[in-house]
This record gives sequence, structure tokens and C-alpha cells, in this order.
Amino acid sequence: MVDLNEQTPAQLLMRDMGLTERDIARRRHIVGLEERDLTRIASLNELMASHVDEYTTAFFDYLTGLDEGRLALQNTAIAHRARQLKRGHLLAMVQTDYDVDYVAQRLELAMLYSRAGLELRVFLAAFHRLLKVIGDGIMSRFEANPSEGFETFMSLKKVAFFDIGVIVDAIVFERERVIRQQQDAIRELSTPVLQIRERLLLLPIVGVIDTHRARMITESLLRSIRASRAKVVVMDITGVATIDSRVANHLIQTVTAARLMGASVIVTGLSAEVAQSLVALGIDLTKLNTIGDLQGGLEEAERLLGQRLVTVEERGRSSASVEA
Amino acid sequence: MPREVSVPIERELDIVAARQAGRELASALGFSTTDQTLLATAISEVARNIVNYAGSGNVLVARVDDESGRIGIVVIASDRGPGIADVDQAMRDGYSTGNSLGVGLPGARRLVDDFHLASAPGQGTTVTLKKWLR
Amino acid sequence: MDVPILKQGDVLIASIQAALSDQDLIALRDSLASRIGRFRSRGVIIDLMALDVLDSFATRMIRDIAYTARLRGAITVVVGIQPEVAFAMVQLGLSLEGIATALDLEEGLAHLSGRERKRAARS
Repeated sequence: MVDLNEQTPAQLLMRDMGLTERDIARRRHIVGLEERDLTRIASLNELMASHVDEYTTAFFDYLTGLDEGRLALQNTAIAHRARQLKRGHLLAMVQTDYDVDYVAQRLELAMLYSRAGLELRVFLAAFHRLLKVIGDGIMSRFEANPSEGFETFMSLKKVAFFDIGVIVDAIVFERERVIRQQQDAIRELSTPVLQIRERLLLLPIVGVIDTHRARMITESLLRSIRASRAKVVVMDITGVATIDSRVANHLIQTVTAARLMGASVIVTGLSAEVAQSLVALGIDLTKLNTIGDLQGGLEEAERLLGQRLVTVEERGRSSASVEA
Repeated sequence: MPREVSVPIERELDIVAARQAGRELASALGFSTTDQTLLATAISEVARNIVNYAGSGNVLVARVDDESGRIGIVVIASDRGPGIADVDQAMRDGYSTGNSLGVGLPGARRLVDDFHLASAPGQGTTVTLKKWLR
Repeated sequence: MDVPILKQGDVLIASIQAALSDQDLIALRDSLASRIGRFRSRGVIIDLMALDVLDSFATRMIRDIAYTARLRGAITVVVGIQPEVAFAMVQLGLSLEGIATALDLEEGLAHLSGRERKRAARS
């Protein structure tokens, strides 16, 4: 019985990966698992029960026999847990019940491997070793009927590949999740919003602005407006590489969004030439409050905030000075 | 968490139900709160069109996976209403024209990644929206 | 659903808690109109902090309310639009042009009293 409010990490991963009952059934179909496979596999119960520790050891010995594997499993707690899980897996492998719970078990181990940084090629090699050892066990058990033994082994291999499919997909999914998070972090760093005094934010935009970056900048600005309760934003675009109509529209959108949150935006660094060409392209710049340079923009901002005008000499002494 | 949710749209309350369903699925799939809001807003636009112009219809929200492994959400808003006579015109920006059919469509398109509109007079309308996880 | 309208001095405050229907918004508009007249209110604050979506319909209705309020001599300030909602609105192409906005209720009230001070200083 699953309590929807308290899902285990493996269950959450399953949900994120879209591993529903339907998807799992599909995976069984993809490896070609059929009724007669299940019958054959069931006959391996006794063999597995009596050899499970030997097989588990074979897997981990191979793994730790490789430098990469040993490194990954050097944490004894992780190694111990992995062994426990693997042992359970082997027993479950011949229970012929390859459903949601079975998959959740495998995901738990996959998450462990992911955390330990176990490389897929190492995992696959050890898995292959494991299959060899089990195969040998099956063939000696079926000595009197080798072709039946072979068929039984092939049936079990379908389950093995079902397992590999799940585990590999999970490891890859987790890896991609990490990459996405890192990309987000990098984007955060490249769109800094600076609070230069109370209620006043400075947003220096530098470089190339594509749709995606414009969006990151806007999101970042809006959150900052809320966090710092900013009433005025000075958006300096001196460092923007190319300002064409697309970029201009992005900037106007940013300004409009900030306005919806009660913050007025002063745009500085828009040269007269660029402004002219934008107007010629039909961009309505009247929505923007533009001031030539950053210094002028900051003075205008302070005026809007009702603060007294600070002269250049005084600015040099103030703690919140900004490079013009 | 279900892979798809179907919300019949008959009255205004259903619009909220449809956008909640969209938001929940988007959240479960890992979409950022901003993307969740974009999706919910797009659903609000198309669902409202159903209420205002078709009377009744349906909004289906489901997870999609494409060949390259991208995860996304698809919203299919369908109705058996009068249909849009001039699709091109409906897709042109015109917010000042308050009561024209499909006024929210060009905007809704900007909120999502993939947009498809199928409509003909007397044959109802189906709007398909897709948003992909970044 | 009835939107509660609070009175603070000569400002009326309407906090919208959940998505409102056509009828609800019309009722709100009429309710504000009559109260503005009754109390001679100078300002109206529409607080949207609890809304997670603001679509073109809702935006139109808010403009409608602001327009009606102005006809009755009151200034409307829309407050509480959240970052994600503001972002979605501009993507959709919506703006509340011509309508004052502020971060939240506190700022909205400050905006209105600031206007009052300026107006008093001028006269």
C-alpha cells in the first residue's frame, strides 16, 4: 500500500522517470518476457536460494577487482547496503513478479550506484560476470538436459536485460538531472541583480541576449524585486552585444513585467544611434524610461525614490558607489 | 501520479480545474514554477475559449516523451463548437478586439513550445499545446 | 464567491483569494462602484497576491474595474502580482497600462497616500 504523501526516493524517481505500470509492462514486452519464460525461471528458485550469497559475492568481487569499482564502493556503508540490495534482487529475479515493486527495488540500487559514482561500463562488466556464474550454475543443474538448461538461462537473461534497462535508464536520468541543475546555477551567476541601496536595484546586462537568456534575466529580476521590495530598477544595457528588434522586445517585456510588480525601470546605456534604428524598425520606445548613461540613470533613480541628489564628490565617499 | 488527466469543460469552474491539473502534472514532472505558471495560464486561455465560444468541451493534460528522450506535457483542448472561420486572423495579435473568437490564442502560443490549431466552421476546434522540460 | 471589501480611511481594499468567475468580477465591480460613491473613497486597492494565474480575461476585468472606479473618482492600484504571474502576463502580451501597480498592500497604500500628500501640497 503506497501512502501518496510519503513516497520513498525510489518511488519519486519512478514517478519522475514516468515508470508507470503501463511503462513497466511495455518493458517486459520489449525484452520478450512470456509465460513459458516465467515457468522456466520459476524452476530456478531452489538453485538461487542455495547460491545467492555466492552469486552476490561473485558480482562484488568482480566490481571491486577493478580500480574504478573499488573506488566507487570504498564507502563501507554504501558497499554494505549495495550488497544487501543485490542479494534481495537476485532472489526476486526468480520470483517471476516483475512489477512496480520489483522496479522500485532496482531503482533503489541504481540510485546508490549513481551516488557512488559507479560507471556504467564497470557495472555492466560485473553484471556480465554475474550472469556467467549463474549460467554455469544453471548448466550444471541441467546437466541431464542441456538444451532445457540453455532455454532456461535465456529466459532468465530476459529478466537480466529488463533489469539493466531500468538501472541504466535511472543512472542516465539522474545524471541529466544534475546537469540541468548545474546549468541553472550557471545561468543564475550570469544574470546578477545587484541591490545598491534600499528599494533600488541595478541590473547590468552584458553579452548576447537570446530568448532564453532574456527569460532568465527577467525571472531573476522579478524575484529580486520581490525579495528586496525594489521600487526602482536601473537596467544598464551598455554591454549588450547587439540590440536588434528581438532584443529590444525582450527588454520591453522585462520592463513591463517589472512594472506589474510596482517597480519602475530606468534603462541606461542605450546609445542614440541604436535608439534611432530601433524606432526606424517600428519599436515603440516610449514605454521605456531611457537615460543616456549609468550615472544619469542612478541620479534619476534616486530622484524617483525621493532621495536627495548626490554630487559626484559625495558619491566617491558613499559606501554604495558604482563604477560608471 | 497519473500520466494523463482529462477535464470536461462546461462551466467557468472547470477552467480552474483544468489549470490545476496542468500545474500538478507539470510540477510532478519537474517543471519550474515559472513554467508551471506559463502552462496554467495557457490552459486558462484555451479553456476559457471553450466556455465562451463553444459552450462545452474537454481539456486533456498528459505527459509526452519524444524520440530524443525529452520529457514534456501536452494539452489538448477540444470542443464541438462553431469552429473558427478564419484561423489566420485568429492567430494574429488583436487584444484590443475584446470579443473576437480565439483572442487568447496568439498569446497562448507564446507561452508554450509547440502549438497546433485545427478548426473549421461547424467542426469544432482542437488546440494542441506542448511544453518541454528544459 | 463574494470578495470581501475592506475600508481603510478613504481607501477600499479588495483581496482576491481565488480565481473569480465572470459573475464574481462583475459583482465586485458593481460592489466597489457603489461603495466608492457611498464612502467617497479616493482609492481602491485590488490585491492579487493569492492568484497563481492571471489570464487575458481576468486582466480585462481588472481594467474594467479600474475604469469604473475612475469614473467614480477613485484611483485603482493593483498589487500583489507574483513574479511568475507577471512573467506569464507579459509573455501573453498583457499589461496593465494606465493602471497604477505596487508590490503589495503596504506599498499600494503608500502610493495612494503619497498621491494624497502631493495633491494636498498643490492645493
